[in-house]
Amino acid sequence: MMELSQIIRTCNLKSVVVHEEEIEIKGFYTSDLLSDVMAHCPEESLLITVQNHANTIAVATLVGVRAIVIVHNRAVPDEMKLLAEREGLALLTSSDDQFTLSCRIGGLTDNFE
Amino acid sequence: MTILEVTELLDGRILYKGEAAEVDFKHVVASDLMSDVLLVDEEDILLLTSLASDQVVRTAQIIGAVGIILVNGKLPPSSMAEIAAELGITLGRSGYSKYDACVAIHEALKK
Amino acid sequence: MADPLKNGDSGLAGTREDVPANEPLILIEMIQRLKVRDVMTSELAAVERTDPLRVAQSLMKNKKISGVPVKEGGRFLGLVSINDIIQALEGGYIDDPCHKHMSTKLVVLEDDMPLSFALRYFNKYHYGRFPVINREQQLVGIVCQRDINRALLIELTQEFNRLESESVSHCVPEDPFNLYVLREFPVAKYDFENAGKAANMIRKVLKEKKFPLKDIRRVAVAAYELEINLCVHSDGGVLTWRMSKGRVEITASDSGPGIEDVEWACKDGNSTAIEWIRSLGFGAGMGLVNVKRVADEFEIHSKPGSGTTVRAVVFVEPRSTDHRQHDQN
Repeated sequence: MMELSQIIRTCNLKSVVVHEEEIEIKGFYTSDLLSDVMAHCPEESLLITVQNHANTIAVATLVGVRAIVIVHNRAVPDEMKLLAEREGLALLTSSDDQFTLSCRIGGLTDNFE
Repeated sequence: MTILEVTELLDGRILYKGEAAEVDFKHVVASDLMSDVLLVDEEDILLLTSLASDQVVRTAQIIGAVGIILVNGKLPPSSMAEIAAELGITLGRSGYSKYDACVAIHEALKK
Repeated sequence: MADPLKNGDSGLAGTREDVPANEPLILIEMIQRLKVRDVMTSELAAVERTDPLRVAQSLMKNKKISGVPVKEGGRFLGLVSINDIIQALEGGYIDDPCHKHMSTKLVVLEDDMPLSFALRYFNKYHYGRFPVINREQQLVGIVCQRDINRALLIELTQEFNRLESESVSHCVPEDPFNLYVLREFPVAKYDFENAGKAANMIRKVLKEKKFPLKDIRRVAVAAYELEINLCVHSDGGVLTWRMSKGRVEITASDSGPGIEDVEWACKDGNSTAIEWIRSLGFGAGMGLVNVKRVADEFEIHSKPGSGTTVRAVVFVEPRSTDHRQHDQN
């Protein structure tokens, strides 16, 4: 378990929509398949994905994701931002790919556990 | 590190052992979007994906990947293993989530 | 009308002038090489000289032919045409023996004449068919224009297959840049089982020819994305692979439904793909962006309601790699 602010700082994430940095992240999930996120993503988690699409917010809200990181620095469409605002989800971007960012965060959780 | 070693590390198993099974991979791609996979310019890629479809194998061949590990406990359709055999691409599977698989591989590479 | 049996000496030399100057060489070679016996129909319906005309009439009806040869002990005597039958019916002599009313002043072909000779006869005499005899004047077959067309089509197909397999696999091995290819791969809508096969095949050939791996990757990625695009977005289309002197051109063309806003479609993340396509790992709006990224030249034309054509060119010559790296920086 760790704070979002910690991850943002150490992993060089860019905030797109962040209501509150001091929230607890209790799990991590990396996927680009929304059906998979729906089925397996843990609650109160951070989702690493390439899917810069409003549907991602919709699915994330359903399973209780707290923050989404879009990899490859992909542009976030306005529709997605609006939905994140409305649903109270943190939306961030990273220049890493899914593997690298997962490894980075994995390294952090090791130190904190 | 080879795809065979990773599969063992992830408590998985090899469904088809292809030409490059013993080749050390130089780069890991963890994606479920094939266009995203095609973005990568590296050589000797290990592909981690939770997408269980024939197109994954074709994509792996296009980028010259050493092999594919299907994560998240996904079961490949029988056609997927057949195409892997046809194209000579190593295919493994593991019950690890993609995130946990990434972290585990990273840990192992650090050692 | 000239007696054709004595006419065989006009021969080969005279046939060339009948061939238009712009006729492809391959066809000229073919019509000189093939003999009449190679194209004729040899299982033919014929009547004996003493058979009544009624027999010829029913043969025409049953076999749907418009002329029946008349022979005696294998020797060709003449021909009964539909016209002869009509006249027989009008004149009330349909039960007369054939030899009494058949046409005997006939143009015939010999079986070892070149096909060019037969073509010349069709032009000259405007008959629908010619009986074919051998040196012993035995009737051995009949030739109509359809026979010639069919034979030429079969020959042409074989010739093209031969040329194609040569261009791909028997090209000068020491210099892959001489590789010349023109290939078309049809892609059906939503055929995910086969989508990607063309790209993999292109990749395989380029790899066998030992092109630089980085360039092969660029060609393969462009071909694959375009192939998937045809499969996902079009009503079906064709992926064309053209290659000459190290210039690889991949073209995807379809006949519909066309793109509303091409500029929008070429932007990262924009996609009209429906959810189940996304679940297959495609339709994330990265395809065209990817093609653009790997191609040295990129071109797209589309109109809603008609079709879309996307062309990507990749230079696989060594010097083009420098140019590309420069672009990426």
